[in-house]
Amino acid sequence: MSLFVDAVGFGIASGAVIALGAVGFTVQFGISNVLNITYGALMTLAAYLGLVLVGWHLSVWLALVVVAVVIGGISVAFNRALVSPLVQRGASPFGLIVVTVAAGIVLQYVVTAIAGPQAQTYGEQGNSSIGVLGMTFSVAQVTIIAITVVVMLALHLLLTRTQLGRAMRATASNRTLARSCGIATDRVSDLAWLLSGMLCGAAGVALAITVVSFDFTLGATFLIPMIAAAVLGGVGQPYGAMLGGLVVGLVTQITGALWDPSYQDVVALGVLIVMLLVRPRGLFGAAWSARRLLA
Amino acid sequence: MSTIRRRVTLALAGVGVVAATVIAAGPAAARLVPAASSSTISVGVVAPFTGPAAEFGQLLSVPCYVGTALINRAGGVLGSTLKCVPVDDTGDPADAVPNVTKAIATTSNFQMAIGLETNTAATTIPLLSRAKIPFFTTNGLVSYNHTTDPYFWRATPADNANGAAFVAFAAHRGWRRIAVIFENTASNEANLPGVMAAIPKENARAVINLSIPGDSSSYSSVVERVLAAHPQVLIFSADPQTTATFLSEYQQLNHNSVPPMITATESLTPDFYDTVSKVIGTSYITHHLYLVGAYFSTRSVAYKVYAKEAYANPLTHKLASTILAVGPPASAYDGLNIMALAMLMAHSTKGSVYDRYITQVVSKKPGAVVVQSFAAGKRALAAGRKIQYEGVVGAITFNRYHNFAGSFAVNVFRPSKAGVLVYVIPGAEVSRLLG
Repeated sequence: MSLFVDAVGFGIASGAVIALGAVGFTVQFGISNVLNITYGALMTLAAYLGLVLVGWHLSVWLALVVVAVVIGGISVAFNRALVSPLVQRGASPFGLIVVTVAAGIVLQYVVTAIAGPQAQTYGEQGNSSIGVLGMTFSVAQVTIIAITVVVMLALHLLLTRTQLGRAMRATASNRTLARSCGIATDRVSDLAWLLSGMLCGAAGVALAITVVSFDFTLGATFLIPMIAAAVLGGVGQPYGAMLGGLVVGLVTQITGALWDPSYQDVVALGVLIVMLLVRPRGLFGAAWSARRLLA
Repeated sequence: MSTIRRRVTLALAGVGVVAATVIAAGPAAARLVPAASSSTISVGVVAPFTGPAAEFGQLLSVPCYVGTALINRAGGVLGSTLKCVPVDDTGDPADAVPNVTKAIATTSNFQMAIGLETNTAATTIPLLSRAKIPFFTTNGLVSYNHTTDPYFWRATPADNANGAAFVAFAAHRGWRRIAVIFENTASNEANLPGVMAAIPKENARAVINLSIPGDSSSYSSVVERVLAAHPQVLIFSADPQTTATFLSEYQQLNHNSVPPMITATESLTPDFYDTVSKVIGTSYITHHLYLVGAYFSTRSVAYKVYAKEAYANPLTHKLASTILAVGPPASAYDGLNIMALAMLMAHSTKGSVYDRYITQVVSKKPGAVVVQSFAAGKRALAAGRKIQYEGVVGAITFNRYHNFAGSFAVNVFRPSKAGVLVYVIPGAEVSRLLG
């Protein structure tokens, strides 16, 4: 029982990081309808930018904030320079995916060329333990969980209580109609890419803190669980992505604790397939219409 | 791990194909060096030069640069000089095939090779053999213990012997409650059968035996299970990132205490030291982390020649302290000398011809002069003497399957990131555990 309770705690900690990235991924998809595979490489870039800042003796948590802003800016630039022009020229969804895959690989190689292929680390960050309801967390894990919760609440308020949130939901629902109603959909799109990039940057640094040691494949490795979380929750559904992240984290850790750890990722992806067979639109997609939270 | 990192969802399967194509056509293919001249014999260093294991390619190039420099300084082989040609196997068996195939097809006078490490051996070895290129492999796969491939040569222990050596050292230290944790990759799990075979013979007990995925975001659940088993020692094999994450969480969940760890000398690299020591501290990595691998004497003439050139050569001096403590590169250096001497004995640089003389270079025979360098061997052969080459790994006796395994060394890291020998496990002791 103790092992199970501990595994739940570890799952929440893992799920928090996955959720952070998954929400950013799904928000951008909900607004732009572009499956941005470059997201993984941007997480890698974020981890390495964090490394530079930590090397300058910046607090790792301050580095997380700075990197989030920087990656947000890069995300907007990426959209304006590459994605938007291709969309305007009528590129197919599959073509856009290929472009984002290619851009991700290029970015990953650039990072490797500059930083080298060897593993990197921020060093130990808040490794002392805290007991909560029988579960054990490190200070760093508690901090990341807190950051995730705050970000999720802020996102909820943004989407439901602000003019910008309403504009984002309107754009996600029907871009043409929103534009004809006077909404600056290009600006809304920019903001969605900014928000997504910031979450991507925060997730990249949080991942680097969590895994302790990382290399240039960090983003590519964790992009799959994040996409799984987003799909599990219902693509375009921020709350679904949060829940999806939690489910993926819990399933992997409980599998590791109670069964064979080498199958923990396999089981998580197996759960994804089964859930989609039962609820094809994801956990939130069946209850609410597609993209309802962003619509 | 590189293959795991390329996982794609079913929805992105088509994209994955595109990505794999782009990767395969990337810097790996561009890394091949220009063709050598006809008076140059190309020595292929088949190893990862890109990807997560790229450091191995740099490390395995050192014995090639050292060996070819010494051979060329001694006048070369039958009027030809030797040149190292990096062949990037990327550490991935699928990606390795086009790169090695291209190297065989386009590299001028490609007549010998070293490297062919565990992750890619299954796909690269058949390519070299089909091209009739003799090679000294550093892979430890047990499946090659009884190979009948005539071009296969191995002067480094098989992984099952290495695994048994882990247990022998644990028993020597009195650690009988052993946690066995291996990352689920071919290269890491290769030591596992030897570990499990040896544990009962040392009256020890595997209190837990887990296979873990590499580069997971957390191993906390795994650590909890290991803690519950109360091990005295961890026999562990994983990449630096996985090791760092695991040890960090072990330390966190066990009140800053981590039991001693035994792993393979493949981890005796500056990268591993840097990554793990930053996470768990220098004290642990220099006092409680034991690295087990092939033993060789640092007092032999062969070693002194090897070490002197490694430190003096501008291409290798930066990595010399790292490489000189590890067995597989030493076996690759010896392999290079043996193949070059075999060429002299065969009066031919053609692989299919000189391959038959390799055993004769190292075998004991009446009246043979023992030589510990290529230069000494070349002089002796020129004087009409028979030779027996004794290398950095000592006197070599290949069995009928072209395998040789000597004793085992246990090293610990120095703060300089190089290794220092702390114990030698006799080869006979390891054989007993596997018998």
